[in-house]
Amino acid sequence: MSQLKLLLQVALRNLFVSKINILIGGIIFFGTVLVVVGGAFVDSMDEAMSRSIIGSVAGHLQVYSEKSKDELALFGQMGGEPDLSAVDDFSRIKDLVLEHPNVKTVVPMGTSGALITSGNTVDLTLARLRDLYKKAAQGETPELRAQIQSLQAHVRQMLALLDEDLKRRSEIVDDKANDPADVEALTRARSDAFWADFDKDPFGSLEFLENRIAQQVTDGDMVYLRYTGTDLVNFQNTFDRMRIVQGAPVPEGRRGMLLSQFFYDEAFKLKSALRLDHIKEERDLNHKTIADDPKLGRWVKENQTQTREILFQLDPIKTKQAVERLQRILGSQETELGKLLPLFFAMDDANFDTRFQQFYAELAPLLDLYRIRVGDDLTITAFTRTGYVQSVNVKIYGTYKFDGLEKSALAGSLNLMDLMTFRELYGYLTAEKKAELAKLQEASGVTAVKREDAEAALFGEEGSASLVANATPGLIDEDAQLDGFAQKLRREELASRVYTQEEIEKGVVLSAALMLKDPEQLEQTMAELQATAKAKGLPLRVISWQKASGLIGQFVLVAKLVLYFAVFIIFVVALVIINNAMMMATLQRVREVGTLRAIGAQRSFVLSMVLVETVVLGLVFGTIGAVVGGAIMRVLGHVGIPAGNEALYFFFSGPRLFPSLHVSNLVEAFVIVLVVSALSTFYPAFLATRVSPLQAMQTDE
Amino acid sequence: MTQLTAVSGGGTQPIVSLSDVTKTYTLGKVQVPALRGVTLDVFPGEFISIAGPSGSGKTTALNLVGCVDTATAGVVRVDGQDTKQLSERQLTNLRLHTIGFIFQSFNLVSVLSVFQNVEFPLLLQRKLNAKERSQRVMTLLEQVGLEKHAKHRPNELSGGQRQRVAVARALVTRPKLVLADEPTANLDSVTGQNIIDLMKELNRKEGTTFIFSTHDAKVMNHANAVVRLADGKILDRITPAEAQRAMAVGAEGH
Repeated sequence: MSQLKLLLQVALRNLFVSKINILIGGIIFFGTVLVVVGGAFVDSMDEAMSRSIIGSVAGHLQVYSEKSKDELALFGQMGGEPDLSAVDDFSRIKDLVLEHPNVKTVVPMGTSGALITSGNTVDLTLARLRDLYKKAAQGETPELRAQIQSLQAHVRQMLALLDEDLKRRSEIVDDKANDPADVEALTRARSDAFWADFDKDPFGSLEFLENRIAQQVTDGDMVYLRYTGTDLVNFQNTFDRMRIVQGAPVPEGRRGMLLSQFFYDEAFKLKSALRLDHIKEERDLNHKTIADDPKLGRWVKENQTQTREILFQLDPIKTKQAVERLQRILGSQETELGKLLPLFFAMDDANFDTRFQQFYAELAPLLDLYRIRVGDDLTITAFTRTGYVQSVNVKIYGTYKFDGLEKSALAGSLNLMDLMTFRELYGYLTAEKKAELAKLQEASGVTAVKREDAEAALFGEEGSASLVANATPGLIDEDAQLDGFAQKLRREELASRVYTQEEIEKGVVLSAALMLKDPEQLEQTMAELQATAKAKGLPLRVISWQKASGLIGQFVLVAKLVLYFAVFIIFVVALVIINNAMMMATLQRVREVGTLRAIGAQRSFVLSMVLVETVVLGLVFGTIGAVVGGAIMRVLGHVGIPAGNEALYFFFSGPRLFPSLHVSNLVEAFVIVLVVSALSTFYPAFLATRVSPLQAMQTDE
Repeated sequence: MTQLTAVSGGGTQPIVSLSDVTKTYTLGKVQVPALRGVTLDVFPGEFISIAGPSGSGKTTALNLVGCVDTATAGVVRVDGQDTKQLSERQLTNLRLHTIGFIFQSFNLVSVLSVFQNVEFPLLLQRKLNAKERSQRVMTLLEQVGLEKHAKHRPNELSGGQRQRVAVARALVTRPKLVLADEPTANLDSVTGQNIIDLMKELNRKEGTTFIFSTHDAKVMNHANAVVRLADGKILDRITPAEAQRAMAVGAEGH
């Protein structure tokens, strides 16, 4: 006891006497601060990201069919959508998992994707004109006539612009650059005769324009639309990170879709406006400048040269308004919008903020900022499970975002739709359709065999799920079966039909998200659910949110690994420095150690002396470091760390991270400090025990 | 080989006994003999000075006696034990319980107070409780006249005071034998004289055996025998007076 007291006394006294000890203490201090701050920081980041991912779409657990070929990847994976085997009846999963005491809620899901076209300006205008003519066919009013004339003028203006483009192209390249058939079609479309006769056969004329002219304008993009079909009401109640941005939620039981705001902007927003948004964000968030950053410079340049989209959108009246406004803004006498726009878009760091504000205040009201507006129908054409094309119209009720993931291209571009539409796109048959099909089959004597099951059917192996076998090829194109009027009726009926909760739940899903009451018991619950499912004859794979979120989940892991690596480096560096410093300290004290040995101290005493000294050093400076680190975290937790750039925005799950300090961070730091100091003293301490008592006899000071 | 016997205390067992001890150091490839067949008995209560020029083997002899070094050949007995037969641990224990050391440059632990420095060997011994230790230390500090400096740090003391602390430390365990290698070399002559007086007094009062090396004739005077070493061999064992004369002759010779 008294020996230990002596050891502590020697250690404490030595602490502030030796300069080397102060150096080691300093390293330990900084190391502790770093580990505390870094650890708390990454833990907070991890927590924030986990919260956003769990609270967005993943839930705590995801369950899906055991028979699936691929792993579930909610946010997508390399090389397309994972191949999941469907579960015929969601209510079975629901009943099964809700029996578990730790499961709070379960949300049905199915994720897939389709290529859609964002539509081109000419097409969109022609479609609007067609609608007007359709209305006119049922009874023309002067108001309708005025609208038709305005749109006709708009189309003629587009044709003029297109003609200009063609002429410029033949000037720059040569005549052969243009397809003679295109030129001929355009010449015809621009002729006064064509427009004079337009009303005689409006639909024929429109068809000519749609087929021969619209395809010459290449501003429509093919866009990959990822969608998750779900019970939207349940989804919104379960996932607290989801927020409606524009429009309204899809009413209960209705078919409908909510686009992610990120996707909506990227795919459908007017490109000039989108580029302005991007520039603003880069400037405000990432502190980049148009002058120095080539990307921003390029966007400004693109806005100056790619004004066609705006020009096409404006009819003659709006064009005139735009010219007036731009003349006023720019103080210019220029009368041509095509020349005013590049002048307006010539933005630099000095005028950007004003111009940005002017764009949205003056120009945007004249324009359609989005190719598809909230309330419009979106036609989604997807390949069904069996490989046939299925086309479904779905109403866009609004846009939403997941808080914290809104800027992530991976997680931010998931669109939500009702389960019914999803099932239709997936190739799932409703009860009525099944009955109808059974009759047809009976009549023809054909047995439908799924392609994958053909082998099994031939060789007698037991077939797999009944679901996709039921999704018989051929039944997909319902439009073909219904003539125009009936189709329209059906669409209206589908859009206004209200599905019961039972209809929503008694049907196919690809996966289900589970929220737990106690997330701490995640692993245990996973295992238990898996076992129960197997026992009940519904083999399910149960995976954690981290695994289900695929790449996104891995980001969290990578971030953690990076920190652990940094800690490891600090660890090693500290180890080496402390080791060296301790060696020096030991060598400096050779005479003292020799004296102690001479007057009767055993080697073990010397060993514990050096060890106790380092441990005391570690504890004292580690404590100071932990206190300082804790104080820093408290301040940061109060003020928040701003996400300095877009990447951080994702990791912080929002514009600011408010890190919190856990006891575990302090404990971690302490353990690390003690381990480092003990390890780094090991060799010096060993050396000290080898000091001979003879060293005490050396006379030189 | 001259067989030397003790002047006083004859008949009892010698506390230190060297018989035909050889010590050779290896410096690189060269073998340097430091002691070449030394035989010496020291009996309890003696106050012996080992004298001789630098390199004569004084320090080596003291190191062997102090169990901090081992002989190349020959037998070294301390308190009746053959040091060659003892383990490192046992040697350390022998040093702790039987021998006290006084060093030329004091070798106090600078971060500890005077009191703690003196107490240190007692803590290593683990024989006494705190109160007993305190009493023992204070008694010794009184004996060396430093009771008022108990709380001071060594660097607050003069050289002589520090050496007195070292003497107190060497004696605090009541060792049978105290070894002092040039205890006065770093002190001025008056202070050195005081230290030797102190040692002598303790030798008289406590009966502690002292062996100290010196080349200072005045210091030698206090010894009851002077063992003269030269070139690793014992020249003779004489009285201080004889030593004085011999040194005077030696000085004339130069």
